[in-house]
Amino acid sequence: MAAFLNIVIVGLLLGGIYGLVSMGLNLIFGVVRIVNFAQGELVMLGMYGAYLSWFLLGLDPYVSALVVVPCLFVLGVIIQRFVLQPLQNEPFMQIFATFGLLILFQNAVLAITRGTGYSVHSELSRIVISVGDINVNLSRLIVLATVIVVAIGANWFLHSTMYGKAVRAVTQDRRSARLMGINVELAFMLTFGVGAALAGLAGVLLAPIYTLSPQIGGNFILAAFAVVVLGGLGSVWGAFFGGFIIGLIEAFAGYYLSPELKHAIWFLVFIAVLIVRPGGLFGIAGAEEVGLREQD
Amino acid sequence: MNKTDIQAMPAGLAGAGAGGTARPKVTTFATELGRIAAIGLFFAVCLFLFRSDPFILNMMAYTFLFAALSTSWNIIGGFGGQFSLGHGVFFAIGAYTTANLYFHWQVSPWLSLIPGMILASIVAVAVSWPTFRLKGPFFAIATLALNEVAFVLATYFDSVTGGPRGMLLPFKAGLVNMVFTSRLPYAIIMVGFLLISLVVAAYVLRGRLGYYLQAVHLDEDAARAAGIDVLKVKLTGMAISAALTGIGGALFAMYLRFVDPPTVLNIQDIGVKFLLIALIGGVGTLYGPLLGALLIIPLESYLRATLGGTIPGINLLILGGLLVLFALFMRRGIFGALQGAWERYRGARS
Amino acid sequence: MMKLTRRAALAGAAMALCLAVPGGASAEETFKVGTINPYSGPLALYGGEVNRGYELAADAVNKAGGILGRQIEILKGDATNPQEGIAAVERLATRDNADAFIGTYLSAVAGAASETALNYNKLYWDTNALATNLTERGLPNYIRSGPYSVSFADVSIDLILNSLAAKLGKQPGELTVWLEHEESVYGTSIAEHQKERLEAAGVKVLGIGAHSYKSIDLTDSVLRARDANPDIWVQTGYVPDGNLLLRTARDQGFKPKATVFVGTGDTKETLEAMGADGLEGLLVVSYPRPDISEAYGPGSKAYLEAYRAKYGEDPIAPQSMAAFVGFKIMASAINKAGSAEPEAVAGVLGSFDEPLRTYETGFGAKFDDNKQNLRAFPTVIQWQGGKQITVFPDDAAGDNKMVNIGN
Repeated sequence: MAAFLNIVIVGLLLGGIYGLVSMGLNLIFGVVRIVNFAQGELVMLGMYGAYLSWFLLGLDPYVSALVVVPCLFVLGVIIQRFVLQPLQNEPFMQIFATFGLLILFQNAVLAITRGTGYSVHSELSRIVISVGDINVNLSRLIVLATVIVVAIGANWFLHSTMYGKAVRAVTQDRRSARLMGINVELAFMLTFGVGAALAGLAGVLLAPIYTLSPQIGGNFILAAFAVVVLGGLGSVWGAFFGGFIIGLIEAFAGYYLSPELKHAIWFLVFIAVLIVRPGGLFGIAGAEEVGLREQD
Repeated sequence: MNKTDIQAMPAGLAGAGAGGTARPKVTTFATELGRIAAIGLFFAVCLFLFRSDPFILNMMAYTFLFAALSTSWNIIGGFGGQFSLGHGVFFAIGAYTTANLYFHWQVSPWLSLIPGMILASIVAVAVSWPTFRLKGPFFAIATLALNEVAFVLATYFDSVTGGPRGMLLPFKAGLVNMVFTSRLPYAIIMVGFLLISLVVAAYVLRGRLGYYLQAVHLDEDAARAAGIDVLKVKLTGMAISAALTGIGGALFAMYLRFVDPPTVLNIQDIGVKFLLIALIGGVGTLYGPLLGALLIIPLESYLRATLGGTIPGINLLILGGLLVLFALFMRRGIFGALQGAWERYRGARS
Repeated sequence: MMKLTRRAALAGAAMALCLAVPGGASAEETFKVGTINPYSGPLALYGGEVNRGYELAADAVNKAGGILGRQIEILKGDATNPQEGIAAVERLATRDNADAFIGTYLSAVAGAASETALNYNKLYWDTNALATNLTERGLPNYIRSGPYSVSFADVSIDLILNSLAAKLGKQPGELTVWLEHEESVYGTSIAEHQKERLEAAGVKVLGIGAHSYKSIDLTDSVLRARDANPDIWVQTGYVPDGNLLLRTARDQGFKPKATVFVGTGDTKETLEAMGADGLEGLLVVSYPRPDISEAYGPGSKAYLEAYRAKYGEDPIAPQSMAAFVGFKIMASAINKAGSAEPEAVAGVLGSFDEPLRTYETGFGAKFDDNKQNLRAFPTVIQWQGGKQITVFPDDAAGDNKMVNIGN
C-alpha cells in the first residue's frame, strides 16, 4: 500500500512537470494552430536563462523567473511576428520554420556552452518533505503548485476577461473574429508570447531538477504534444489533466511493469485514446476536424 | 522551344490543384516517363564523370537515397496531404527485415527487398487504419508517437532487432550480398531506387489514385460527397508510400551494414528529414523532393565538412538559420519559387 | 525552354555537389591523421576532449621526430552517427589524403567508419570506443588500444569482490547488488557482463533496471532499487541520467552501503549537480585520471601540465588521457612497422609486450588476435570532499584510502 501511494505521488509530481511544459504548447497549438516543434527549445532556453541569471547576477532560479519569463515573452512575440506570421497561409512551412528554429536554438546554446552539463542551484531544491515513507522534493512540489495556479489563472483569463474572450473567439473562428473587429494578428502575437513565456516559466522551475543540456528540450516535447492532444485542443483543463494521466501511467508502468517499456505503454494508451476520442478527453467536439489547411 | 512546351510548363510543374493557366493541359504519365528518363540520363552522366571520386559518389548515393525516400513520403504526405512523421517506422521495418534475413539466413538483400516492402505496407495499413481518423496536426503527432513506440519496442525485443546492440552485418563483398568496396555500385543502386520512386510517384500522381489523393487533400468531405472512398484512397496511398520507404530502409541497412534503433528510428535524422526535404523542394510536386534533396544533403555535409571541427554545433546553427530563412523566402519550396520565376518571366514576355 | 530550365536547375544541383569539395591534394610532407569523433551534437564536449588528447600526443610525437619522419597533422572528421562517419572518412581519405584514422567516442560511428577506412586500406586505430563487437569483427585495419566495455565491467566487479566485500565485512555469497544501466548498447553490454561475473562469484543480483538517458523522471527506477534494499547499487550511464538518479536517490532516502557509477560521474558536471556533500563516498569507474599516482601512470603529471599549458584549464573529462596514450602507441606501432599500411602495423602488434603501468594511464600494451589491447583498464575514483581521489586498484591509489564505505 505504501508503495502504491508512493507511486501515485510520483505520478502526480511527474504529471505536474508534463502539465507545466504543455501549458504554453496548448495555448499556441490551440489558438494559433501551429505545431510548434521549437516549444521544447523554449523550455530549454528558460533553463539556461535561469542558469545565466544565477551565474551572472547570483539570482536564485525561483527569483530569476522575473527576468527570464518576460524575455521569453518578447522572444515569442518576435518569433510570431517575424517568422510565423509571414507564413500564415503556409501551415506546412510554419512547421518547417519551427523545426529550423529548433535546430537553431539547440545549436546556438551548444556553440556557446560546448555542451557542458550545467546545474542550477537553489536552496529550496535541497528541501525534502517526508511523510511516512513518502518523500517529496520541494522543487517538484513547486512545479505541481504552479501548474495548478497557471491552469486556474488561464481558465479565469480565457473566460472572464475581454482579451480572453477575444482569444477564444479567434480560436473558434478567426474569420468571424476579424469581422468583429478583433485584431487577429495581435492576438496571435500576444498568444505566442504568452505561450513562450509559459515555456520559460517551466524551464526556470525545472532547471533545479535537471542537468542542463542543449538537447534537453527534446526530452519534454513529445510528452508535451501527447498531453495536449490527449487532453484536447483548446482546453486548459485538458492539458492539466492530460499531464496527470500520462504522468500516472508512466509512473505505474515504470514501477510495476518495466521501466524499459513505460514510454511505449503510455504512447500506446495515447494513440488508443485518440482513436476512440479523436477530439481528446476534454476537447471541444470536432476540434480535431480542423485540419492544417483550414486556416486563413 | 515550341509552343506546347511553354503551355505545358505551369500545369506540368504544378500538378493538379495549383495550376492557373487559361488553358491547362493535362500532363500524362507518358510525359513524366520521358522527363524521368532524362533525369536518369543526366544522373548517369554525373556518375560516369565522378566515377573515380568516392567522396562525391558517397554524397550522391546519400542524396539520391534521401531524394527517393522523400519522393516516397510525398505520395501520401504531399499528394494526399497526410502529414506523416512516422515514416521512420516503415524505413526501420525495411532495414530490420533485410538485416535479419541477411544475418541469420544469408538471404540476398535483393530478395529481401520484397518481404521488407510487404511488411512495411502491412504495418503501414494496420497503424494507419485507426490513425487516419485524425486530421492535420493530430495525425502528425500520432504518427510521431508511433515512431517513439517503435523505438522502444526495437530496443526491447532484442531477439528480432539485436536490441540496443543493433545488428552489425558482416562484410562480404559481392553483387549478391549488395556489399561493395567501391561507392559506385551504391550510387548506382540509389539512382535506380530514385528512378523507381519517381516512376511510381508519377504513376500515382498522373493516374486515378493521384487525383483522388489530391481531392482528399483539398477537401475530404467534398471528396467523400463526390463518391470517393476516402479511407481506401488514403490507405492505398500510404501502402505504396510505405513500401517504397521500406526499400529505402533496406538499402540504407546494406549501405551502412549496421542497424540499431538510434540510427534507423532517429526522428531528426530520418523520420522528419523526409518531409523537410519535400518541404524545401516543394511539397506535393513530383520533382520537388528531388530538388530538395539535391540542395539540403550536399549543403548539410558541406557545412559539416568545413565547420564541423571548429565550434561545436556551428554547422547546424547555420543550417537551422538557413532553414528559417528558406521558409520565409521560398514559401512554396524551390519548385514553387522556380515556378513563380517562370510565370513572371512569361508574364513579362507576353 | 522547359528543358533549358530543368537543365539549369540540375546543373545548379551538380554544382552544389561540387561545392562540397574542399581544396585538392597537397604534397605529402606531413603525416595526416584523421580524427573521427562527434564534434557537434550532444556529445560534442567529449568528442572535443578526446581530440585534445590526440593533439597533445601529436605535439609530443612531433617533438620526438614525428611518424615515419614526418610531422603529424591532425584533420578532424565530425561524425555524430554512422552515416556521417562514412562521409567523414571518405572525405579525409580522398580529399585530404589522410594516412591513418583514429577515434572514436561513439561505437556506432567506429563500426561504419573503420569499414570505410578499410576500403582505402587505411589503418583505423581506436582509443575510446567501448562496444565489444568492434574487435570481434576481426577487421584487418581495426586496432583498439583502450579499454572496452568488458574492461569497465571487469574493474567494477573486481572492485566489488576484491575491495568492497571485505570493507562491508561480507563474503561474496552474502552480498546483494542492484544493477542499473542506461538502455543503449553501452549501458546494456556492461550491465550484462557485470551480471555474469557477479553471479559466477555467487553474489546475489537483486535486479537489473534499464532506463533511457533522456528520462524526465527516474523515481520509479530508484524506488525499485530502494525497495530491493541492495548492499551495493551499480549504475552505468551518462551524465544527465546519472545526476538525476543521484538526486532522486537523495530525495527518496535511498542510501545503499556503497554506490558504484561506471563510465561517468567523475566530472565537474556531477559535482555541480550534487555538491561535495551529496557525492561524498561515491565510487566511479572511469578512465584513469591525470592525478593518479606517478608510480601507476608514469608521466601523468607531465601530461596534466602539458594539458594546462595548451588549453588553459584542467581536463574536462579523463577520456583525453586514454586518447593521448592510444595515439602514442599508434605512433610507435607505425614507426616500428615502417609503414602505416594496416597489414604492416598489424604485423608488428605481436611484438608489443609492455607491462601494465608503462603509459600515463597505467596501460600496458599486449594485443590479442583481434587486435584488442589486453592491458588497458579503467581505474576507480572516490569523491572525497569534492575531490576525485583514485582509490582502486591499490597501486593506482598510492596512499589514498577509500572512506565512508559500509557505515
